[in-house]
Amino acid sequence: MKDVHQLSSAPRRESTSGQAPNALEATGLSKQYRKAWALRNASFAVPAGRVAALVGPNGSGKTTLLNMVVGLLSPTSGEVRVFGETVRQDAEVLSRVAFLAQDKPLYDSFTVAEMLKFGRVMNPRWDDEMARRRLDELGIPLKRNVSRLSGGQQTQVGLTVAVAKRPHLLVLDEPLADLDPVARHEVTTSLMAAVAETAMTVLLSSHVVPDLVDTCDWLVVLNGGRVQVSGDIDDLLASHRMVVGPADGAETVAGRLPVAARSTSGRQATLLLRGPASLPDPRWTERPVRLEDLVLTYLRDPDASALPAPSLIRAH
Amino acid sequence: MVWLTWRQHRAQMLATIGLLGVLGVLLLASAIETTQWAAANAPAGCPGLDPICRSFNRGMYERYDLVYQVVGFLPLIGPALIGAFWGAPLVAREIERGTFRLAWTQSVPTKRWVAVKLGMLSAAVVLAGAALSIMVTLWNGLFHGAFPDTSLSNPGKFNVVGLAPAAWWLFAFAVGAAAGALIRRTIPAMAVTVAVIAVALPAIIISQDFYAAPAEVIGVDRDTLMNNGDMIVEEKWIGPDGRDMTVPTETLCPPAGGTDASGSRAEIAEQDCLAAKGYQMVFDVQPVNRFWLFQGIQAFILVIAACFCLALAVWGTLRRRT
Repeated sequence: MKDVHQLSSAPRRESTSGQAPNALEATGLSKQYRKAWALRNASFAVPAGRVAALVGPNGSGKTTLLNMVVGLLSPTSGEVRVFGETVRQDAEVLSRVAFLAQDKPLYDSFTVAEMLKFGRVMNPRWDDEMARRRLDELGIPLKRNVSRLSGGQQTQVGLTVAVAKRPHLLVLDEPLADLDPVARHEVTTSLMAAVAETAMTVLLSSHVVPDLVDTCDWLVVLNGGRVQVSGDIDDLLASHRMVVGPADGAETVAGRLPVAARSTSGRQATLLLRGPASLPDPRWTERPVRLEDLVLTYLRDPDASALPAPSLIRAH
Repeated sequence: MVWLTWRQHRAQMLATIGLLGVLGVLLLASAIETTQWAAANAPAGCPGLDPICRSFNRGMYERYDLVYQVVGFLPLIGPALIGAFWGAPLVAREIERGTFRLAWTQSVPTKRWVAVKLGMLSAAVVLAGAALSIMVTLWNGLFHGAFPDTSLSNPGKFNVVGLAPAAWWLFAFAVGAAAGALIRRTIPAMAVTVAVIAVALPAIIISQDFYAAPAEVIGVDRDTLMNNGDMIVEEKWIGPDGRDMTVPTETLCPPAGGTDASGSRAEIAEQDCLAAKGYQMVFDVQPVNRFWLFQGIQAFILVIAACFCLALAVWGTLRRRT
């Protein structure tokens, strides 16, 4: 915790950001539905090889953003690039991205084997051996009709179809929602195994932060259609300090400290600080920053933001 | 994509083949029975117009009519089923069940996905329609000469022979696909499809009047025209001076007292009377030799409309909103 300011000024990815294109780059991305903006001027990047969490409350624009990343939705303005290529209806571009939608769509009348055949005929780099091995390890019978599988098994089949496509970027919309704790654990484990095996980049959305702590190393926080935070999770945790003190003195204290975000509950105020600072008086205590606290404090303070240096976004 | 199209739509394809098979068996059974009956019962020189054939011809007609009770519904039922079950679910079901998020995020661009599906199913529907047409035409040929062929004059018959079934089924499929892609819900799309076909069928039948100017025929009696298979559009009497009849028939040839003025006997008497006074019947007809012209024009209209609907279906599919 001592060398906080060094870490905050030198994110460890900076050395690579000038060369290889980011796995994902959004620039000024906006989507308008009739009058409401689902996403407004979102700019962020996810470097290649990361497992990125897209976090935000319900209705914050996560699904809209993911749909634009996979080409199901066209942006009103701005653009999304995947490995430097603008997302569009092009076989080569589409083959680099796989998507598992929130409701885990599969063809009800298909058997598991037919779902694999679907993946095979629809994708040039399909890895049938990998798909069969995954399902075999998970104990999912190939002859079983998809509609007769449990929710967890359906998610696993959907994930298998997505992973065996051999995408460079795997996009998952709330992959763990609707699953019981055991199934959550199994899905997470098999996802991480696939990531380790294929070295693909992953972007997954969730509104449950604790699920992400052990899985993800990049964080994007979306709030009310705007990107609030984007960065390496270790860097974010290291560069922030959380101090707690009385709510009535918070105004004056905040004026003297590098406050990134703040929230108040009852008589207690929580300040999320960027960089080092000495505590004003003994009534204020520092707490270790947990990912959950960091996310929640930013979400409660929609005007605050922690966005990467412009070099990360304009890496290409 | 070929496998996927087959796998997702095989239920409709197999059901269609099955129903065509049932119809085929019915037509074949009718053909065998008719052939055997004709071999045993046809007087020499029959079928024909000779009075000796009258009873035989009637027997043939009864055999024809029995099957026509079924076949006569096909111009409406066939396209309605094709549109509702082949066309409407194509895009609508994917959207309704969320599987479009699976289908359209593979390595096949959505444009190609929809083009292959519409293309393959259009071809299949045209083949199925052609199969229906061939079966009905072969069966219909057995009755040649026994009674007037109404392939041109009866819309119920015109639309199950020639190019009509293939063109109608293609049109119906395209309407269904467009409705599904635009409405994005299967059941409402099916309902709209059936409604469109129910309106299009009479509209197209009525539009036949504009395909070609009718030919005027004078001095030929109605039976001859009917036996030719000509379609009679209009008929009227002209006087000995060649002008339209201005005086009511009842004045010229009052019906004999004591007979039923609306009976066929009275009608024949009236016609004989008018003919004796130098009046002649004039018919506006579409001659039977315009059958293929009419089939061609109707098919052309339906194919153009189908292309428009297919383009609409592609547009509706690509117009992404989620």
